[in-house]
Amino acid sequence: MIRFEQVSKRYPGNANALETLSFALAPAEMAFVTGHSGAGKSTLLKLIGLLERPSQGAVTVAGRNLAQVRRRGIAQHRRMVGMVFQDHHLLLDRSVQANVELPLVVAGVPAEERAKRARAAMEKVGLGGMEQRLPVRLSTGEQQRVGIARAIVARPAVLLADEPTGNLDPQLAVEIMGLFAEFQSIGTTVLVATHDLFLIKRIRKRVLVLDHGRLVDDVSATEVAA
Amino acid sequence: MNARGQAASRRGAPARWWRAHRWALGQSLLRLRERPLGTALTVAVMGLALALPLSFYLVQVNLDRFGQVLGAQQALNVFLKQDQTQAQATALARTLRADPAVATVTLRSPAAGLSELAALQGFGPALAALPDNPLPWVLVLRPRATAALAAVSTLATQLRGNSAVALVQDQGPFRARLDALTDFGRRVMQVLGALLALAAVLVVGASVRSDIQSRADEIHVLQLVGASAAFVRRPYLYAGLGLGLLSGVAAVILVLMLEVALAAPAAQLDASWGGRLGFAALSVTPLLVLLACAAMLGWLGARIASARHLAAGEPN
Ligand SMILES: Nc1ncnc2c1ncn2[C@@H]1O[C@H](COP(=O)(O)OP(=O)(O)OP(=O)(O)O)[C@@H](O)[C@H]1O
Ligand SMILES: [Mg+2]
Repeated sequence: MIRFEQVSKRYPGNANALETLSFALAPAEMAFVTGHSGAGKSTLLKLIGLLERPSQGAVTVAGRNLAQVRRRGIAQHRRMVGMVFQDHHLLLDRSVQANVELPLVVAGVPAEERAKRARAAMEKVGLGGMEQRLPVRLSTGEQQRVGIARAIVARPAVLLADEPTGNLDPQLAVEIMGLFAEFQSIGTTVLVATHDLFLIKRIRKRVLVLDHGRLVDDVSATEVAA
Repeated sequence: MNARGQAASRRGAPARWWRAHRWALGQSLLRLRERPLGTALTVAVMGLALALPLSFYLVQVNLDRFGQVLGAQQALNVFLKQDQTQAQATALARTLRADPAVATVTLRSPAAGLSELAALQGFGPALAALPDNPLPWVLVLRPRATAALAAVSTLATQLRGNSAVALVQDQGPFRARLDALTDFGRRVMQVLGALLALAAVLVVGASVRSDIQSRADEIHVLQLVGASAAFVRRPYLYAGLGLGLLSGVAAVILVLMLEVALAAPAAQLDASWGGRLGFAALSVTPLLVLLACAAMLGWLGARIASARHLAAGEPN
């Protein structure tokens, strides 16, 4: 579903954020990306969501080399990718529900169905009853969950989450990961960037370990227990 | 998107289109309402900018009418020599009627002239005392409204050269001056109109631009969740269209107020001309044209303002 071939990414004026990275994720596979701060986790996810383009190498998503996706195609591509951002990216002056509905608005889903699906998504991340609140009036963890609800509401083919549980208590973090695993079971490919080793041990999925932009380890789910 | 979703989205394309537009419309209204002062200011400035050409147009329409009224009065009075007989006068009239520049030729006999003079001046008895009628035959010649001024003056020159003609009275030069004046007025109106339309585009453009800038974060978020450039741009285009339309309405109201304010002096002027001027109010068509233009200019301003900014959705 997702394939990186010899991918490097260099930001102007920096050393390489990613170095000749190669790996592949099967459809409906779930994996973690971990590594120290600045290792390149966010960059890796941004390449998949077409927020950045690689300096070298090829990123393929759903059989499509992203280098061939130009202007118009970008929006379309992003609609099949749900993203939870490290810095939430919420509309602060819109209600929680309006934020969660946004991908559905963009996809042209009718209002009643939008509301129904948004409520279901909010329910799943434990935001039931907060539909009309403004994000500025929410705790950081609650804001993070608004972002998670928004990412899952359109049932994307690919779900990318960048530190989705950084501000959540361990119990809630595990619940959210369980939720992601559910998506895996309906065919969604899930990739989660985190440095929460406790969480990685609890959930037991494949783990990609980055160090200074290089893939230094690729641990299969069965090996994680050890 | 899964297979089921894709099938459903293909089926619902028109409905989806309509929903997207309705959403954009709602967003744009929200935007205009959110900044009532900015909206009011933009509408006021743009309304004024549009009211000016419309008032010029109103003046122009009436100047044209004025010219027509005066033009209708324009006639060549051809005084024949004293020795010309009725038969000769009739023959000349027949020739002149064949001229393409001529609409009508009226023949006035010396007798008719005399009685008219008598009635008009009130010294009938004195005239009646004359042994002979001193008046010649007169041909009153009205040019066609479509006839060029030059054709009419050529005709006058020809007639002056005619041995049967004593005198030709021609009001052409006055008409020429009036025409030149109205032409000048029309040109001024066109140039000012174009400049003011440009000003209107810039006013809306500036307003929409500041709106876009203050919403850069929101635009970014929309792009992140997969909104196309058209989708992101649409609320701003609608806002521009709405601003244009509101300004058009403001301009129409201003001009109608101007008409009301000018009604009394115009009626007075008209009365002094014996009611022949008949000032015209603006008809519905130019008002509708103005509204359409205003909306278009607003849309254009928004389009220009949004074009550059929204190209930034590209990844690096
Ligand atoms: N927009 C940018 N411009 C320049 N350099 C950048 C940019 N974004 C990231 N970098 C650099 O690229 C490297 C990888 O950054 P990245 O954000 O991918 O790390 P990360 O693993 O997500 O770190 P963290 O755990 O702190 O979120 C870092 O050295 C960072 O400084
Ligand atoms: Mg990061």
